[in-house]
Amino acid sequence: MEVKILSEHYHKDDFQGLTGYKANGGYEMLKKAFTMKPQEIIDLVKAAGLRGRGGAGFPTGVKWGFLPDNGEPRYLLCNADEGEPGTFKDREMMERAPHQLVEGMIISAFAIGSKKSYIYIRGEYDDSINSCRQAIKEAYDAGLLGKNIMGSGFDHDMDVYCGAGAYICGEETGMISSLEGKKGQPKLKPPFPAVQGYLGKPTIVNNVETLASVIYILRDGVDAYRKYGTEKSPGTKLFSVSGNVVKPGNYEVPLGYPLKDLIFDLCGGLKPGRKLKAVIPGGSSAPILTAEEAMVATLDYENLAQHGSMLGSGAVMVIDDSNCMVDLLGVTLHFYHHESCGQCTPCREGTGWLDKIVHSILDGKGRLQDIDLMDEVAGHMMGRTICALSDAAAMPTLSFLKKFRDEFEFYVREGRSKVKGQAHAQM
Amino acid sequence: MSLVKKPSFKASWYLIGIFKGMGITFSNMIRNLVKKAGNDKISLAMKTYNYPEEKYEYGPRFKGNHVLTVKKDGSIRCTACMLCATNCPAQCIKITAAESDDNTVEKYPISYEIDILRCVFCGYCEEACPVDAIRMGPEWQTAALNGSDFSYDIKHLAYRAQLKGGIVSRVDEEERHKAGI
Amino acid sequence: MLKCKINGQDVEVAEGSSIIEAFKATGQDIAHYCWHPGLSVAGVCRLCMVEIEGNPRLQIACNTQVQEGMVINNNSDKIKDAVKWGLDFHLINHPLDCPICAQAGECQLQIQYMKFGQYDPEMAERKVKKRKVVDLGPKIVLDTERCILCSRCVRFTDEVSKTNELGIFNRGDHSEIGTVDDRPLDNPYSVNTVDICPVGALTSREFRFQQRVWYLKNETTVCNGCSTGCSTKVYFNEEGMWRVKPDHNDDVNGYWMCDEGRGTPRFVNKDSRLLSAWNGQKDEGQDLEAGAAAKAVGQTLKKVVAEQGSDKVAFVVTGQYTDQENRAFLSLAKDLGVKVYHWVNNPEKMDEFDGLLIRGDKNPNTYGLKEAMKEVGVGSPWSELESSVSDLEYVVVAGPENHFAYSDLTDKVDLFSKANHQVWFVAGDHDVLRAASNKVSLIPTKTYVEKDGTYKNFEGREQRIRRVMTLVPGALSLTEASKLMSGQELLVDGNVSESYRKTNFFSSNERGYL
Repeated sequence: MEVKILSEHYHKDDFQGLTGYKANGGYEMLKKAFTMKPQEIIDLVKAAGLRGRGGAGFPTGVKWGFLPDNGEPRYLLCNADEGEPGTFKDREMMERAPHQLVEGMIISAFAIGSKKSYIYIRGEYDDSINSCRQAIKEAYDAGLLGKNIMGSGFDHDMDVYCGAGAYICGEETGMISSLEGKKGQPKLKPPFPAVQGYLGKPTIVNNVETLASVIYILRDGVDAYRKYGTEKSPGTKLFSVSGNVVKPGNYEVPLGYPLKDLIFDLCGGLKPGRKLKAVIPGGSSAPILTAEEAMVATLDYENLAQHGSMLGSGAVMVIDDSNCMVDLLGVTLHFYHHESCGQCTPCREGTGWLDKIVHSILDGKGRLQDIDLMDEVAGHMMGRTICALSDAAAMPTLSFLKKFRDEFEFYVREGRSKVKGQAHAQM
Repeated sequence: MSLVKKPSFKASWYLIGIFKGMGITFSNMIRNLVKKAGNDKISLAMKTYNYPEEKYEYGPRFKGNHVLTVKKDGSIRCTACMLCATNCPAQCIKITAAESDDNTVEKYPISYEIDILRCVFCGYCEEACPVDAIRMGPEWQTAALNGSDFSYDIKHLAYRAQLKGGIVSRVDEEERHKAGI
Repeated sequence: MLKCKINGQDVEVAEGSSIIEAFKATGQDIAHYCWHPGLSVAGVCRLCMVEIEGNPRLQIACNTQVQEGMVINNNSDKIKDAVKWGLDFHLINHPLDCPICAQAGECQLQIQYMKFGQYDPEMAERKVKKRKVVDLGPKIVLDTERCILCSRCVRFTDEVSKTNELGIFNRGDHSEIGTVDDRPLDNPYSVNTVDICPVGALTSREFRFQQRVWYLKNETTVCNGCSTGCSTKVYFNEEGMWRVKPDHNDDVNGYWMCDEGRGTPRFVNKDSRLLSAWNGQKDEGQDLEAGAAAKAVGQTLKKVVAEQGSDKVAFVVTGQYTDQENRAFLSLAKDLGVKVYHWVNNPEKMDEFDGLLIRGDKNPNTYGLKEAMKEVGVGSPWSELESSVSDLEYVVVAGPENHFAYSDLTDKVDLFSKANHQVWFVAGDHDVLRAASNKVSLIPTKTYVEKDGTYKNFEGREQRIRRVMTLVPGALSLTEASKLMSGQELLVDGNVSESYRKTNFFSSNERGYL
């Protein structure tokens, strides 16, 4: 059962433009927001329990509350650098409903008192960049951006900034560095961006989906929003399902929805004759779930944490029995090796090391002790770096080795995959 | 300062010692005259060599005069790391390093001198060397006509006639680079 | 002040201090590469891990501030394991070419491996190959393979020299230090990057391969390159002085010094020095023993003053000598009743300052000299000497030891040649002096590493210099020369530092630390 709130009007062709968006009730909530006090909006978001949809799941209202009251200019940044492999929910929203994002951002900016915001979009998302730019232009023309919006006395400017597609620029401080014109490398925390962010000023960074959700919390109220989801993970969320399912795509379901239903009901199950082997529930950096775990897991922050994984960005990757796990880990680690920014030593050297070990196994040169070595290397990369990229490489490694160790051992002993007909990883 | 001890009364009777010593000398002389030396079986006769026509062959582990090894192309293997000079208990090694034009070499000895008269042939230089650049060779005849001949330079250490163009080192930089070490 | 506990030891630190500073205050060991007290915090080497009671995650000490009552330790097995792996990550792609690395012996990778590592490496994969022997400018050579990307050098050029030449290029384990378009790293402070480089990635072109560092001894002294008077460490062995590094001194130079100040071995070492006294004219003359020469000069001066009057002799002084020498020399002038002139080498640049360390006054003790002249009550304007020099019988010059700062040396020799005789107390051996057209006496003097005394820097701060070594045994300090000239003998008065005599650095000592 899908609950379409964010994606309600996706199917309408004219929803992309301002007129179509307004016809479907767009910018009404902005009008409503201006009748409220900023603190009321923050309290509302806090009460609704909206959690960040980018990956970490940090409560948005709480984050907004961290802003220091020191009179410095504040910035709102929208993180549309959707870099997590398997995620494509923000892209669809930006292409189909860019005004939804723009409205959400203006409301959020009003709530936190920011006069300038940026949408940071990765360079590969040409269509998203164009549609967001178009939406911002339309909003300016309609007086929804700029000076004295809708006669409320609130000024706000918005701009689109294109990254070059580095994974690390999706990390909030990495994104801020990139936006400042520096090399996209995460910054040391503390100080946190809410205190010292973009250009050293208080900054709030939120995901596309999070910002858009603010509109609907305002529209439906806290109780209606909390109707969906669980106690600690309220609301609905977009899930990008990919992999060996019949109907991959974006699905909006309430949090706490059973993973099994998502795969077998909404996505039409696996191809005939295939068996479910594993599911990665939250993008490539989330620890993998075995088929048994996936059958009982539900899609909310707490339940997945109980299963030793995480909801992450909501990229569900379904893996059936035609895939070799060694091969899959090879692809994953190659990605993280390539995307490590090279700042912290454990990540810079560790991702490369893991990548080299798994590829020497794939080349048939693996040793049995390599499996333990990978486990140890990944274990010592966890929690040792400035940002979470090191963990993102270590977590899948540890979970793959723990749950599919037999496949790795088979590969080392036989020099070939346990899954028949599986070719070596093509890079 | 060594301890000076008054000679004992017994020790002053040196003639006993002299007779003892002469006894050994003469008994050996007579034995060598009577018995013939043989190679095939253990002989009671003492073996002597007609040096310099005949020379004694020492074992392969003998620590004789130093040899500096060379690379495949014949250039000197030593990287002038000075570990041998640091480790040398007799402080007989003197190296001057220089920057090489070849970036893969980077550093090489522009001079390498061993004062063989100070050397105690302990072999520590060989042990300290990280790249098999110095070895103790089998040569042991170190006679020379004047003092300066006892200071061995690179030309002598690596390229003396006996080495026939130099001994190639076991450690090869190119191979190491290829192996990704 | 905040109280905290480090490995069971109570420590009090100032508010806002980081944990690593608290560790340094207690003198306890903590592994680190990227943190440097004179630079901002980068937090990238991830070695300075500590456990804070009540926090399940390990924290880095450099970016965590001490809070009241914190209980910190870094000696648990968990920390040891983390540091060991941190070192392993640093070393897996390190080329281990210690034999040809100029840093070997003072390399933090070696030191910290021996302190915190000592494990068997497990890396069996191919190492990442990067550029070696990169020409980074006239003074520095870069080896990107050895680099551990601690970013100290980058932060130095950003924050201290503010020249911003260096940056980290590429990503992941292909990251490299470099400059844009391979432009040279050439600023007046560039060699500091070599000092702060914890490994052999940046090496000084001048010092590279000259000596192994374990053959060198170091002593703290004061730089005599300009009137800033930076605290420095000179590295030397029995052959001479090999390099100069800055010593930490918050009041003067912080952690840094300029590249020019590192050039002192050029005029201190034996090959540029005047080894014995010389009397002659136009390149012909004879060597003398320095003390005898000074005595003879003293007697002659007394005779000239007595017979022809004190206006036939002039003394010329420079700001290159210690306070004690200045006083002795000026007192001698006062006793003889002769005039004293202050030779200023570059009057138009005297008050220049680049905002960091370098000053236009290239003398270490101009302040002290002026003070001494006032105190003794001597000193006449330079123009007077220029007009009267041809009437003079003797010009006695306390010449510069750092002749590189005295570009007008030749002009002044020409000027003094108009007098009948010129007497030079000078450290360096200069052809232009030996070729002078009048009669010349050269008497060798000691350089700043061969004598004890004090300098007063531009703001009058008195700093002690120490006798570190003896390079030219015959050379005299100006104090000794003044004594001899006034007819006294140099007696060993029993105050000679016995400790100095006892420690002969270059005879037996611990192995490997000659």
